[in-house]
Amino acid sequence: MEEDRLWKFRRPEWMNSVWARSAGVYAAGGLFSLAFYTLLDAAVWSKSARNGSDLHVGFVDWLPFIFSSLGMLIINSVEKARLSADSYAYSGSAVAWKARVVLFLGFAALAGGMAGGVTICVLRYVVPGVPFPAMGMGVENVVANALVGLSSVVLWVSQNMEDEYAYNLAL
Amino acid sequence: MPQAGLKTIIALSFVLAVGFLLVILSCALWRSYYPLLVVATYVLAPVPNWICGHCANPDDFVESTGAAVLDLGRFCTGFLVVMGIALPIVLAHSSLISVPAMIMSVIGGLLIYGTIISFTMFFQEEQEF
Repeated sequence: MEEDRLWKFRRPEWMNSVWARSAGVYAAGGLFSLAFYTLLDAAVWSKSARNGSDLHVGFVDWLPFIFSSLGMLIINSVEKARLSADSYAYSGSAVAWKARVVLFLGFAALAGGMAGGVTICVLRYVVPGVPFPAMGMGVENVVANALVGLSSVVLWVSQNMEDEYAYNLAL
Repeated sequence: MPQAGLKTIIALSFVLAVGFLLVILSCALWRSYYPLLVVATYVLAPVPNWICGHCANPDDFVESTGAAVLDLGRFCTGFLVVMGIALPIVLAHSSLISVPAMIMSVIGGLLIYGTIISFTMFFQEEQEF
């Protein structure tokens, strides 16, 4: 396992502990919750008395977040161990290839959600020149999708930590 | 040792009462009972962890499905904990509750959750003997 390492820098030792792994998973849940409540804040604010404009959050504003969450679900449902399988090990049913295709779909949904958030922010709020308190709804959309991406990165990294830890324990 | 445990229980219940006082005060002073949701959130927060901990065998390192179930429980718990802080902020931002009510309910909710967590920790520590 040592000589087929790709990167120059080693992962620090403390990252392989169980504590760091579960902290990473908790943090991912927290970030996802932050993303959801950022978007919910935009929706609630748009219906509240504070919203002076006639712009309102509808289903279209939720669509990028739905795609981002779907992408996150797909990415983190794939078994990571199958991904690094070399062509001999699982060549029977080509699991590694399938895993890569599914993972590609997941990342496409995640990036599509991010792009959709930016699109909604630009098309509905920036181009008509909405003033700022209402503009916040568009900004919150972008922030929410970015947080979903960040959350799935954190979850991915901490799950990879888990694999490393299990490997160390098995030897 | 039992006396220290008794003191701990008294202190924890005192903190829990202060947390509930803050949350209920934040509801009753402004006559809007939305912050009570914070209590429900924090009471529900350890539940996914607990359920998934019973579903999975944590000693099972060969099959990673057990670890996946544990991770799902942790993810949901993290979601609920941040929800308890985010919910009053969302409500205050839309002026459904006032900002002092938000501050009081966030502090009260953190006290309640801290009590639950530390009580679980003390309880598990006693179980190890």
